[in-house]
Amino acid sequence: MRNRSFAFWLFLTPVILGLSLVVIIPFIYGLFYSFTDWNGLSATQFLGFENYIKLFHENEFMDSIWFTVKFAVVTVILLNIMGLGLALLVTRNIKSNNLLRTVFFMPNLIGGLILGFIWQFIFISVFGDVANLTGIEGLNGWLSTTNTGFWGLVILTAWQMAGYIMIIYIAYLENIPKELIEAAKIDGAGSFQRFKTVTFPLVAPAFTVSMFLTLSMAFKIYDQNLSLTNGGPYNSTQMVAMEIVKTAFSDNDMAYAQAKAVIFFLIVAVIALTQVYYNKKREVDL
Amino acid sequence: MKKNKLGLGIASALLASTVALSGCSFSSSDEGDSEAGGSSDKVTVDIFQFKVEFKDQFEELVSTYEKENPDVDINVKTVGGGNDYGQALKTSFSSGEEPDIFNVGGPTSVDEYEKYLADLSDTKAAGAALEGTLAGVDRDGKILGLPFNQEGYGLLYNKKVFKDAGIDPSSIKTMDDLEKAVKTLDSKKDELGIKAPFAFPAKEKWVMGNHLANAYLADEFDNDVMTAYKSDTVKFEMGDQMHRFLDLQNDYSIQPTLSLDYSQQVEENFSLGKVAMIQQGNWVYNTIDSMDPDFAKNNVGLIPIPVKGYEGKIPVGVPNYWVVNKQSSDDVVKASKEFLDWMYTSDEGKKFVTEEFKFIPAYEGYEDLEIADPISQEIYNYAKDGNTLGWVFMGAPNGWTENDLGTAMQQYIAGDISWDEVEKKATEAWESARQ
Repeated sequence: MRNRSFAFWLFLTPVILGLSLVVIIPFIYGLFYSFTDWNGLSATQFLGFENYIKLFHENEFMDSIWFTVKFAVVTVILLNIMGLGLALLVTRNIKSNNLLRTVFFMPNLIGGLILGFIWQFIFISVFGDVANLTGIEGLNGWLSTTNTGFWGLVILTAWQMAGYIMIIYIAYLENIPKELIEAAKIDGAGSFQRFKTVTFPLVAPAFTVSMFLTLSMAFKIYDQNLSLTNGGPYNSTQMVAMEIVKTAFSDNDMAYAQAKAVIFFLIVAVIALTQVYYNKKREVDL
Repeated sequence: MKKNKLGLGIASALLASTVALSGCSFSSSDEGDSEAGGSSDKVTVDIFQFKVEFKDQFEELVSTYEKENPDVDINVKTVGGGNDYGQALKTSFSSGEEPDIFNVGGPTSVDEYEKYLADLSDTKAAGAALEGTLAGVDRDGKILGLPFNQEGYGLLYNKKVFKDAGIDPSSIKTMDDLEKAVKTLDSKKDELGIKAPFAFPAKEKWVMGNHLANAYLADEFDNDVMTAYKSDTVKFEMGDQMHRFLDLQNDYSIQPTLSLDYSQQVEENFSLGKVAMIQQGNWVYNTIDSMDPDFAKNNVGLIPIPVKGYEGKIPVGVPNYWVVNKQSSDDVVKASKEFLDWMYTSDEGKKFVTEEFKFIPAYEGYEDLEIADPISQEIYNYAKDGNTLGWVFMGAPNGWTENDLGTAMQQYIAGDISWDEVEKKATEAWESARQ
């Protein structure tokens, strides 16, 4: 580690430069601005922690955090179950394997905004028509209440991301040595037992990766939220990222939004790091 | 051999990083140089505007102007309406790429950008601006902006449906009249072929928080945006009427209103004749026209929103202003003013304004020109005769109309809070923002 050569740093320069220009320096700037009354054009006063104190008393921000946390818990569980399930399905020896993989992965290629609009059409028009035909009232007005709006977002996200998570699980599933499975078979293990004691522990690293991915994704979600519900009704399906953008650009309170963003960053960082730490501990080596 | 490879590697890494760096640092400063004017004899004016609907027509106007004035070079950048524009404008200011001409919405953004705004009192256009249209940009006698156009709104109705139902739209003056008409429409839904009398987009906070509310708030702020801007509180003096009007639209609308949005309201429901009325303004004309030109031209009428004491009047206001950046060099400022003057006061410019932009002009001297669409024509008639209510919502605190009032109204529609709580919440939010 110590005797890195001159050439090593030279090769690294473009990356370090790029990273600091677009990530590190703006981050420090942002941190600084969160202590001022910056309005996007100029900062006249240094406020100290005033912005931070204010945000802990703001219901709307706290509501959006709570909503996001609920959303993250549900989607992380759902996505990992679906991802692993789909992966198990397409790693069996069935003929349409490749076709299925492509089909499951495809939703992930559509941009979040468009996806939101597609599902908006489904939730409002298609669900509405089905409700009219069948008389099931529960299908009407899916995006007009908080509860169904929440599930609408969950469905959209699961549909979009499950295929992506599936790919990660496939990679790990295919790396499991055939001998281990065979040995377990010879020892008389049934298929559920084989999955529980052999396959599952061996894909633990995939859990670490995909839990991290789904967790950070669930917290940072913005475009799907914007196009599907736009926070409505009455901002009750508004996630943190959207709340911050709104504070910054429609309330025009840049510094305050920046303070919210810093808190948001801390929350996501702490949760993600804790999760990776514990998942790593659970992994088994071959 | 190995050494050679290393040398090559270093050389290419260096090359790559210098290319990458120079690429981002120099590309923009070129423009800046020529913009500063000084050495080159051509003046470059950068315009940053928000009205997507007239982007093509505006660019056509610009190229006509450039042909007539070869020493002026105008660049137009357009970024979509509302929040996106404010966001993009701020970004370009904080990144140092300041436009020479841009748009501000009302007193709040005038304050924010005040140190950039040149005094436009000496322009011909400012002299020709209709009375009242400059109120929002007048600072101690200095005129800091020029109005884009005028806009008005009310209840747009389907003439054919009204005729079939036997309702005379001109008889609708008070809330009672309107209620009666709506009930008639509702009872004849099936034979008229409509799904409901209204399409009320409660998903859009601006439809309720800006326009609906404005009709009933204008009176308490003397119909003046600046009075609203200076007010420490909002009292909802006509809150009962606002409540009643909101209920009427919501109860007799296609349900569920909370997930009904603007495009469903205008395109799917009104343009296709599924509802009899919508609360919107002249800006929907092009949309309706693209759905059904014949309907747009012959079948859309306007009824004023019934407000006690203001029967037969419609809210008309200036949605946006042109401003000139005074930090730009003097000849750029001069060229900018000349361009704006030309657009609103020359014969050729005027023709563009009415025929191509389809604006309702906010200036004198358009009396003999024909206004392009029937909705605008009707609004211009109201404005000409002085039958107007003010636009005061732009004087409300930042974000108040949508994020506080609009949200509270949504909660009310969802049945979570009572109307009194709507007024209470909105008043508290106004007061805390104005402290």
